[in-house]
Amino acid sequence: MGQEFVLLVSASIFCVGAAGFMIRKNPLIMFMSVELMLNSVNFLLIAYSSFLNSLDGQIFALFIMTVAAAEVVVGLAIILTIFRTRHDMDVDHIDTLKG
Amino acid sequence: MEIATVFNFTHDAVIFAVGMTAILASLGVILCSSPIYCALYLIGHMICLALLFLLYNAEFLAVVQIIVYAGAVMILFLFIIALLGGKKEVQENTFHRAMAFAFVFILLGELYLSATVGTTQPIRGEIPAELFGTAKAIGLELFSKHVVAFELASGLLLVAAVGVICLAKFSFAPLRRRVR
Repeated sequence: MGQEFVLLVSASIFCVGAAGFMIRKNPLIMFMSVELMLNSVNFLLIAYSSFLNSLDGQIFALFIMTVAAAEVVVGLAIILTIFRTRHDMDVDHIDTLKG
Repeated sequence: MEIATVFNFTHDAVIFAVGMTAILASLGVILCSSPIYCALYLIGHMICLALLFLLYNAEFLAVVQIIVYAGAVMILFLFIIALLGGKKEVQENTFHRAMAFAFVFILLGELYLSATVGTTQPIRGEIPAELFGTAKAIGLELFSKHVVAFELASGLLLVAAVGVICLAKFSFAPLRRRVR
């Protein structure tokens, strides 16, 4: 399959993730949308490392996975803490800093 | 027909099918109302991406994808959903939602246009084909050229673990619900 197919699939998944981040109100699903975006970029890097016969893309994808894992763990802990103090899962209601 | 042609055609068909499944699963993630179904769709999406990694000669990263994402991260998501209760979300069509969709469609159109530009400057690496994407090749690359980044990543994971323990251990006094 050519490079155009990879670009189109990756762009589609990235845009689906961006749409999900904007339209959903549940912070867990917003996090899942962020994961979708990170994964689409990972796929692009790995496919291009195969096309260009160089391993740098795969190393980059490995580091993206590491950072994403750390980010998910901290983000879920923050969501849990917010839920413990507020008992509410709608991000539109978290507006204490709004002034 | 030659056997190589048949193989190439089958390879392309499999890549096409798996890619389309990945896109459909990602649509399921953002369109399902119940968080538990979203998580299940996301697991399916991760597995499709691992298959695509395999088809593009990245066997080590396919295994890492399955273990780290479909295993660890999604189990964490499912535990949090079980802890917080997966309430269904009412999805209504508001102006904000229409604007978000319009923005995303414009972004998608721009990305599709930029995908048709074509190659600019080919850069060729020199990894032998039989070694490409294996754990050995990744390890050689990782521990020779990228040692500093590797150590920094281990530090990042340690800091994340300590931070999560601090966030989860100390309890905060519950806030009073804001009166609207």
